[in-house]
Amino acid sequence: MINLQNLTIKEVHEHLKNKDFSSSEITKAYLENIKIKDPDIKAYISITEESALLQASKVDEKIASNASIGLLEGVPCSIKDNIMIKGERCTAASKFLENYRAIYDATVIEKLKDCGSVFLGKTNLDEFAMGGSCEKSGFFPTRNPHDLERVPGGSSGGSAASVAGDLCVYSLGSDTGGSVRQPAAFCGVVGLKPTYGTVSRYGLIAFASSLDQIGPMARTVEDCEIVFDAIKGADKKDSTSTDSVFSHERKDKIRIGVPKEYFGEGLNEEVKQAINNVISVLGKDGVEIVDITLPHTEYALACYYIIAPSEASANLARFDGLRYGKQGEIGNVGSINDLYLENRTNGFGAEVRKRIMLGTYTLSSGYYDAYYKKALKVRTLVRKDFENAFKDVDFIIGPTHPSLPFKIGEMEDDPLAMYLADIYTVSVNLAGLPGISIPCGKSKNNLPIGIQVIAPAFQERALFEIGKMIENKLR
Amino acid sequence: MISEQEIKNIAKLAHLKIKDEEIDKLRNDFSSILDYVNKLGEVDVSQISETANLSNFSNVERDDIPSRFDKELLIDSMPKQRNGYLEVKKVLYND
Repeated sequence: MINLQNLTIKEVHEHLKNKDFSSSEITKAYLENIKIKDPDIKAYISITEESALLQASKVDEKIASNASIGLLEGVPCSIKDNIMIKGERCTAASKFLENYRAIYDATVIEKLKDCGSVFLGKTNLDEFAMGGSCEKSGFFPTRNPHDLERVPGGSSGGSAASVAGDLCVYSLGSDTGGSVRQPAAFCGVVGLKPTYGTVSRYGLIAFASSLDQIGPMARTVEDCEIVFDAIKGADKKDSTSTDSVFSHERKDKIRIGVPKEYFGEGLNEEVKQAINNVISVLGKDGVEIVDITLPHTEYALACYYIIAPSEASANLARFDGLRYGKQGEIGNVGSINDLYLENRTNGFGAEVRKRIMLGTYTLSSGYYDAYYKKALKVRTLVRKDFENAFKDVDFIIGPTHPSLPFKIGEMEDDPLAMYLADIYTVSVNLAGLPGISIPCGKSKNNLPIGIQVIAPAFQERALFEIGKMIENKLR
Repeated sequence: MISEQEIKNIAKLAHLKIKDEEIDKLRNDFSSILDYVNKLGEVDVSQISETANLSNFSNVERDDIPSRFDKELLIDSMPKQRNGYLEVKKVLYND
């Protein structure tokens, strides 16, 4: 039996090279672990066993012929179910797309295929990535492997849980307002939201196009770096994508900013302690810690909850239920409008319908200037806060999320509170910056806590370096 | 608080149907969110330009070379098809 516990990409790669086990063997071991543990965790929506084993056997042939293999070659991973793998189901955890099969590969999938990755399956999310707990999945909630009574976070909760539960080595998620970083924090794994534009969004089911970014989730910062290097790069099919990831010059003295706005009201005491502990460890190690201010933080959330639903209402307008998705139940209809109404109302879940309506409202004539246009202006101020801060410091550090993973159903009656909890993550999307969440300890009840490090745009290299430093100090 | 009629109008614009029993909850949810986002009113943006997109590029072009999808997969992905054609419900106008 292969011990799957906490295996990293590097470790699996070494084992494959040394022929300690084959890619087929480790793929089967994960598939077996999924059969045993996933009925409780429910990280996966679908398992792609056949193609996984086929790909693994190809890598094994290569190893048998003593050809050299790449770092990701033959390493099993999972993919969030809003990213397309040709020929496989892609549901976005919506009943609307329950039976939809992707007709092409997302660019990130094409790139991972070129690296020889093995895809074990597609992971659960809040429907169309709208939510922070995986409870809003159109199919079933995912549970946190650290405590099955609690949520794994969201929207990439299935991806985070699949890594934390040893149901894959790494995963791809997507992050619109914290959807990679927050579940990473809740599940005790590392999650990277790259700079806007560094990773192609082609083949990602769009939620809010000016905010969405695909990012890796894994056990270590190094693993995230390996996956990021594999998926990044300009793509002709995404006009916002670019090649500009800067190389990093090592500095003698690192300056880290701690924004006072990230330690205000509503921050859980245990989370606060864990973050302060990291800050003091870094301070003792010669890192200069500087108090900074991001004065528009409290407006960033309001700004996000106008911009994201607005863009979502436009992106989801294409779901008419005719060409793909689900047709409603009624027979002959009296007008084409009735047909759309029927299909869309049957297909979308309550949260998605609410956000579409919210976005429709903020874009509608008479409200457009007061809401949408105003939010775009405030977004400029949020960006400028970061620009000003980065004139003085190399990184910004703080909690990823104000609370510990909560119990399933606990936040049901307070939708606004759920939204407000995104306070530390949404600004990073509004400003298009890279942010990484790294595990930084556990609560009394053994629940994971994540620390977020934010860097200037295209400074992923620097982010990985400081991330590894934090990992080492806490080890 | 947002009115029942406003909720109905928004639903119509969004091509969504709402049941009567959903209206109260939607009114409550909408109002709490709108009350919250209204705090943007406190910010003076008179001298500030908009950030609609973070991309620094404009007019990104590429050669117009069609890449074709797999026809079988494409037809398979349709909710309903007959002889390779997309099948939709009959729409008969009543006027």
